[in-house]
Amino acid sequence: MYDRARPFAARVRWAKKETRDTSTFALWIEDEAIRRQYTFSPGQFNMLSVPGIGEAAISISSGPEDGPLLHTIRVAGNVTSAISGICASNIVGMRGPFGNGWPMQEVEGKRLIVIAGGLGMAPLRPVVRHLIKSGMGHGTDERPVLIYGARSPRDILFRHEFQSFGRLFDVHITVDKADPHEHWKGRTGLIPPILEEIPLHGPGTIAFLCGPEVMMKCLINEFMLRGMPAEQIFLSLERNMNCAMGTCGHCMFGPKFVCKDGPVFRYSEVRQFMAVQEI
Amino acid sequence: MAIKGTLKKSRLENLLAVLNKSHRVIGPKAEDGAVVMAEIGYKDIPSGVRDLQWPGGCRLLPGKDSQVFSFSPGPDSFKRFLHPPVSELFAFKRNGAKIDFLPAPKISERPMAFFAVRPCDLSALKLYDKIFLGGPVADQAYESLRRGSLVVALNCLYPGNNCFCLSMGTGPEARDGFDIQMTELEDSFLLEDGSAKGAEILEQLPLGQAGADEISAKRQRIESCKAAFKKSIAAQELPGMIYANLDHPHWEDIARRDLECGNCTQVCPTCFCNTSYDYAALGGIAAGGAVSGKRLRKWDSCFSRSFARVHSGNFRFSRKARYRHWMAHKLAYTQAQFGLPGCVGCGRCITWCPAGIDITAELEALRHV
Repeated sequence: MYDRARPFAARVRWAKKETRDTSTFALWIEDEAIRRQYTFSPGQFNMLSVPGIGEAAISISSGPEDGPLLHTIRVAGNVTSAISGICASNIVGMRGPFGNGWPMQEVEGKRLIVIAGGLGMAPLRPVVRHLIKSGMGHGTDERPVLIYGARSPRDILFRHEFQSFGRLFDVHITVDKADPHEHWKGRTGLIPPILEEIPLHGPGTIAFLCGPEVMMKCLINEFMLRGMPAEQIFLSLERNMNCAMGTCGHCMFGPKFVCKDGPVFRYSEVRQFMAVQEI
Repeated sequence: MAIKGTLKKSRLENLLAVLNKSHRVIGPKAEDGAVVMAEIGYKDIPSGVRDLQWPGGCRLLPGKDSQVFSFSPGPDSFKRFLHPPVSELFAFKRNGAKIDFLPAPKISERPMAFFAVRPCDLSALKLYDKIFLGGPVADQAYESLRRGSLVVALNCLYPGNNCFCLSMGTGPEARDGFDIQMTELEDSFLLEDGSAKGAEILEQLPLGQAGADEISAKRQRIESCKAAFKKSIAAQELPGMIYANLDHPHWEDIARRDLECGNCTQVCPTCFCNTSYDYAALGGIAAGGAVSGKRLRKWDSCFSRSFARVHSGNFRFSRKARYRHWMAHKLAYTQAQFGLPGCVGCGRCITWCPAGIDITAELEALRHV
């Protein structure tokens, strides 16, 4: 197995601007032996680095069956700024994949509800694509649901793909606010009211959530009020990642290392810590 | 076949000489007003040095004790050597459009022999092995330093004022995790092997017969040490007492006294948190620009304000939350993460806290609303 502590070179094949502050980068692992060994599952992440600047944890936004390895990055700190400035054919460092990923085996035979807020769509896009490509979720009586909330119409990620996601999923998109000049004809407002309209059938439903913690907490409340078991709700958490291998301590959430025990957690496992401020 | 024997105190030098044949000996040394750990020779052992520790302070005392090891653990432990304050993870080299990530240079020095390791630190070392070697992939920087190392344990015969290993179940007697254990008796040391490597070393020493007298003297000394403990912690109520009190108002009270200096995390033998960062220099670091930069790893502390910060904010913004995180990691989380206690009862965090915050007392305070 290749070294997980030392990056390998990954070449930027192409970069595509998604929104004003977010771009998708297709990366190609240079070393052939590593490229062959490299496999990942939806919800895992890589540590991408720009030598001399530093390293950041970035979700893989492509599905395991897709060709290029995609990373959708919002400019936030010094590393993401540096990566966003890298043009096609240049090199970044990559370590990974890390984390547990979404429990795809639990989706079988259940109706999946995927809810993403903002950049939270990046680690959930592989789930959606994997379901479409693998034929999972086609057999259930009810269509799987995809709810996506963005700040404004121009912040919608992967905007041209939702139509194709709609062939399998029941898609709902909302934006927090839309300026008149944007001619937004869709829904405005937060995500919870959309969830309220969706019928839930207890144990036959499973939910994957990723987005701001305040959004996930609201959605969990709604799910719990309507009798969804805490074991059927999964959420992907964000924390400061540094080593990605559970030896640096930065990403701790209570006793959990978000990098290796997560980033995806069953709500029943982390419930007691979600209730504590600044844990 | 277990080897037991006595070594005359005047022959202690022989033990160090045998260790030194194959290993760098890391042991106690009096320096800058404290007993620290360093690469030592026989003459460096602070024989007869006594120290006084209290919440917020430590002094070496004048005068000499008749015992060789009459001091309590100092601020250092094996941690400084196996998980150095700064270490190199890899180097990177930019070569036109290409970037190479080069492994850190191999350590060429002889392996280390840790001499006079206290039982509390043996527990901490066991935890370190779990943290750095027990994952799916071993940490190479740690592994390269730990491989081939030797541990000579020293049973504690006098508890320091801040020691509470007895209640933590980690001392004062060494139980496992050593190659050799020593017990200081009247005019000799009782040496017992704990591994094949340890036995091999003992065979090279002029050991005297250890009979029933020596064994009972060891027992007696350890029992009288146990009776002399001044501090204890409610270990039987952990981790429940932490988990049940994460919202306790007492955390606010601690935050008013806490200076956030991070001393406790630096002296704690189980605190392992660190940060890796890139170190780059114009024109490259090595001669002739052989590498453009390095990824270094340095000790960090959960008391630092940036420790849990991400672009959108700080997950532990308040001092109260940062202290609570540290204490909960020590007394509850580590057990869940690695199946071993995160506090070994060495009392260093109490002695080296400039505000004299006492983890055992703070835990007790959580009982009261």
